[in-house]
Amino acid sequence: MISVKNLKKSFGDVEVLKDISVEIDPKEVVVVIGPSGSGKSTFLRCLNRIESITDGHVLIEGVDITDKKVNINEIRTEVGMVFQQFNLFPHKTVLDNITLPMITVRKWKKADAEAKAHALLKKVGLSEKAKVYPDSLSGGQKQRVAIARALGMEPKIMLFDEPTSALDPEMVGEVLEVMKQLAKEGMTMVVVTHEMGFAREVGDRVVFMDEGYIVEENEPNQLFNNPQNERTKAFLSKVL
Amino acid sequence: MIDFLMFIQERLADIGIDFRMKIVIEYFPFFMQGMLKTIGMSLAGVLIGCILGLFIALGKMSPLFILRLPFVWYINFFRGTPLLVQLFLIHFAVMPLIMSPVNPIASVIVTLSLNSAAYVAEIFRAGIQSIDKGQAEAAHSLGMNKLQVMWYIILPQAFKRMIPPLGNEFIVLLKDSSLGAIIAAPELLYWGRAATGQYYRVWEPYLTVALIYFILTLSLTYLLNYLERRLATK
Repeated sequence: MISVKNLKKSFGDVEVLKDISVEIDPKEVVVVIGPSGSGKSTFLRCLNRIESITDGHVLIEGVDITDKKVNINEIRTEVGMVFQQFNLFPHKTVLDNITLPMITVRKWKKADAEAKAHALLKKVGLSEKAKVYPDSLSGGQKQRVAIARALGMEPKIMLFDEPTSALDPEMVGEVLEVMKQLAKEGMTMVVVTHEMGFAREVGDRVVFMDEGYIVEENEPNQLFNNPQNERTKAFLSKVL
Repeated sequence: MIDFLMFIQERLADIGIDFRMKIVIEYFPFFMQGMLKTIGMSLAGVLIGCILGLFIALGKMSPLFILRLPFVWYINFFRGTPLLVQLFLIHFAVMPLIMSPVNPIASVIVTLSLNSAAYVAEIFRAGIQSIDKGQAEAAHSLGMNKLQVMWYIILPQAFKRMIPPLGNEFIVLLKDSSLGAIIAAPELLYWGRAATGQYYRVWEPYLTVALIYFILTLSLTYLLNYLERRLATK
């Protein structure tokens, strides 16, 4: 589904991703953990080329997105993304946030888009908020709308970039609940998070990154209970 | 109204000030005509300036240095030279290449448009760059292309923030259009000069002209404040 080969990324002279290779299978939920500055967010942002790729290859369903001839916008409709800061469009209502990409990118009719958007809002438990502006939502509600918006494009893959890090603690649960539901439905997911509970419960595989490398990866129970690498052990001892 | 003006004239005469309302009254229709031209020229200037300014702003934000260059120097030139010099260049040098005889109103509109385009371009650029990077990232992640991101996401949000500086630009333009009097464009100040020429009196025409400009800019200020408040609540 996703195939990353020798991915490298530099910001100026600073090499943030040094040599990342990983395969992600369909319906797999991969959780990426690691200390801040380890490059995990940058890695995620390279998967839909929101961040330009310095070297190496990223294949989404066999299509190499580092190829300049590839229509990246088309690939991105298949790869949904959820951001730490929600990034809802403040000048659009909740409903319009969800329908805008359907209408402009997918070229759906307005009525079809709205029917689909209402169904998605129901799914994330926010049916009654369709007509309000994002300003009046809580953080947890904003993030659930952002998830609904990404799902509106009917993506095959969902990327989550620290989706609960900007939330008040009591709102983390409602967002994780939606993500768990999504995982249960068989969505391929890559999740950068500090929620170790979520990683353990939902993740099929946990990837530990540090200083631009994948240091260790394993299924959650193995990685959390029996880490092999010293750096993994040091990190886990601080967060668990 | 005329009674009121005569009343003021008498009170001023009581304290030894000779102020001839007759001039104001006689020239009033011309002042009104001139005022309409002033408003029209400024409005045309700011509208054309906005359209040109948007393209100049986008050009100046190009990632390619060589593409940026002409836009940067356009802005440098029009912000770095006096408006009156620009007006002379356009009225006496550029416009005669296009039309003959040259219509001074057209010259003023062209000059104001080109000049305001430079300032508006910087307003646009600041507005566009003030929008959080995450907005464009989210829109791109949903598959929107650059044009769609600009049109549906960035510009509507940027425009709200650009209203106060655009309003200021309009007020500046309204006042600067008075330079048209020098090339005999029949705007507000032109009629003030005409009255001065006819009666050899300066206080009456110029004070009246100043008052009309003041009323115009003041009403505009209040209109803009109202607009800003209304957009802010949405």
